[in-house]
Amino acid sequence: MITITIANNFKPREENIIEKTRETNDVYTIELASDSNSLPGQFYELSVLGIGEAPISVASSSTERLKFTVRNIGHVTSKIFEQDRIGVRGPYGNHWPFEKYDRILAIAGGIGVPPIRSLIHELKGKKELWVIYGARTPSDLVYKYEFDQWKNLSNLILTVDRGDENWNGKVGLVTKFISEIPNLKNMAAFLIGPPIMMENSVKELLKYEVSPENIYLSLERRMECGFGVCGHCNVGHFYVCEDGPIFKYSEVRDLPEVFL
Amino acid sequence: MIYSLNGHEIAELFERIKKDFETYGTIDVQGDVIFSKIEKYHELKIARSDKPPKEFLIGRNENVLTLPEPSKKAVFGVMSCDLKGFYIMDRQIYGKDPFYTIKRENTIFVNYVCTEPCKTGFCSAFGGPLMDDYQIQVVNYEKDKYVVYVNDKYDSYFKGFKQASNDEISKVENLMKRFNEKQEKHNVEGIENRIKWNSKLWDKYAKICIQCGACNYSCPTCYCFDLNDVGDERIREWDSCILAGFTRTSAGNPRENLSSRLRQRFYHKFVYYKKSRGVYLCTGCNRCTDDCPVDIEIKEVIDHDYDSE
Ligand SMILES: Cc1cc2nc3c(=O)[nH]c(=O)nc-3n(C[C@H](O)[C@H](O)[C@H](O)COP(=O)(O)OP(=O)(O)OC[C@H]3O[C@@H](n4cnc5c(N)ncnc54)[C@H](O)[C@@H]3O)c2cc1C
Ligand code: SF4
Ligand code: FES
Repeated sequence: MITITIANNFKPREENIIEKTRETNDVYTIELASDSNSLPGQFYELSVLGIGEAPISVASSSTERLKFTVRNIGHVTSKIFEQDRIGVRGPYGNHWPFEKYDRILAIAGGIGVPPIRSLIHELKGKKELWVIYGARTPSDLVYKYEFDQWKNLSNLILTVDRGDENWNGKVGLVTKFISEIPNLKNMAAFLIGPPIMMENSVKELLKYEVSPENIYLSLERRMECGFGVCGHCNVGHFYVCEDGPIFKYSEVRDLPEVFL
Repeated sequence: MIYSLNGHEIAELFERIKKDFETYGTIDVQGDVIFSKIEKYHELKIARSDKPPKEFLIGRNENVLTLPEPSKKAVFGVMSCDLKGFYIMDRQIYGKDPFYTIKRENTIFVNYVCTEPCKTGFCSAFGGPLMDDYQIQVVNYEKDKYVVYVNDKYDSYFKGFKQASNDEISKVENLMKRFNEKQEKHNVEGIENRIKWNSKLWDKYAKICIQCGACNYSCPTCYCFDLNDVGDERIREWDSCILAGFTRTSAGNPRENLSSRLRQRFYHKFVYYKKSRGVYLCTGCNRCTDDCPVDIEIKEVIDHDYDSE
């Protein structure tokens, strides 16, 4: 009989949280002691034993320490910030295919921004990178303390749905600013955010003749395992965890459940 | 190798396997057919178990934080339609789920090939009960006569038994031919192109389905599970795509409507898995329908005339 040795990929490793940052009312960033060892767009399962696990995108670049930015929204995400140590397993999934392109437009809505932060720091200004980042209100913007740095590394467009008395930046949905990007036609677009935001952004990009082959979406689904065995995260015949989370628009546009 | 055994030799085979494996089999408990540990071959009752043998490989109430020492099991009396479920799900989860993989490697399933169609099964739509993939496959083709198909890995348990003759093998093949002719026909081929996203079937089913999940639990191919922390354990439990919580997230639920979940179940079986893994996620066992309290029929999903809608 064969005896096979196989690692228990359900079992997380324990990591110390070495830094915690409050970003907004309900969003925080944690930095762990270990190196990131992952690429922009990938994700981990973070866990608090006794509570559960949550899939969370990598917010760090491959040369930083592992970082996550989390919205406090439920059982697990409300407990992580209080911990000194958490469970992590990953990285899972694919990454933004930035290697293939010289000109990239990244569009992030709401809490979709961590993988775009990761991308900005990964590229370090070496490629032509445009970033449109939209949040509901100015107080929902995360990474405010990095925006000056981002402006050096990319062409940054910040926008909010609703301004306040201190906001003198742009107001409007991210889609409104797509037309401001020069020479869109030969660009790649990386989209992450609420489904309706991605759907409308795709429409707008197609209007400017961005190729469906060069538009990428990061999809979000309920996940349990993260590596293709629990069956929770399907979109059509794909599992988001193992075939994604990033999909070429041309490969998913005919799947009826993409923008749900 | 293919062997020819008599009843006495089958019992002898059981004893040989028992030296290396814990032996399990289907037994009759007051009319219920269940899998249980057995010590003697004659305890075995050749009849389809009330539940599929899925639990031998996909744990329920299993702590995924600790891999157990593998235990070697031999399971007698598995029906082909149930066994096929494992070969189908292998394509998605073997080598990735360590618990499944280790158990799969340490378990022998001895499947028994039906020679007469059962009441509701439609396995011939998927090739019939004689399997191309097997570990030890038993065909009791005449009284006290068995043709046994053996994967090379287990050949050593057959030392001294005689090989089946061409005559015996062709008897089995003819029997299978007759079986497939006799069983009622359901043409599954090409359903992935016929089935319709907006078919009225999904709403029709949603009106009567009580969301019990029995169809998933009884399915020999359904592999989905959930993880939940209980104290310092992370517990795997079977899950069901019919339940609303299956896809619910903090951001909402992409399958809020029951009709979309029922459709998902059938699309996974007949469209998605075919596309991603090359086979249908169904063996024709009909267990889902047999166990459904409101008689939602998988055969109707296959036979339905989508074009006329
Ligand atoms: C690939 C991926 C990357 C993500 N990246 C981030 C990120 O960087 N930052 C961030 O704040 N959030 C991210 N999310 C969403 C995050 O996973 C959920 O907000 C989180 O799982 C909620 O868990 P909870 O226990 O606090 O919530 P509860 O609502 O209490 O969770 C109950 C159950 O539902 C699951 N669940 C709930 N919401 C989601 C969801 N939106 N997606 C998947 N499973 C969910 C949980 O895992 C848990 O099993 C990401 C989701 C995915 C799929
Ligand atoms: S067994 Fe029948 S009633 Fe129960 S969930 Fe399945 S389809 Fe619905
Ligand atoms: S999260 Fe388990 S299959 Fe994708």
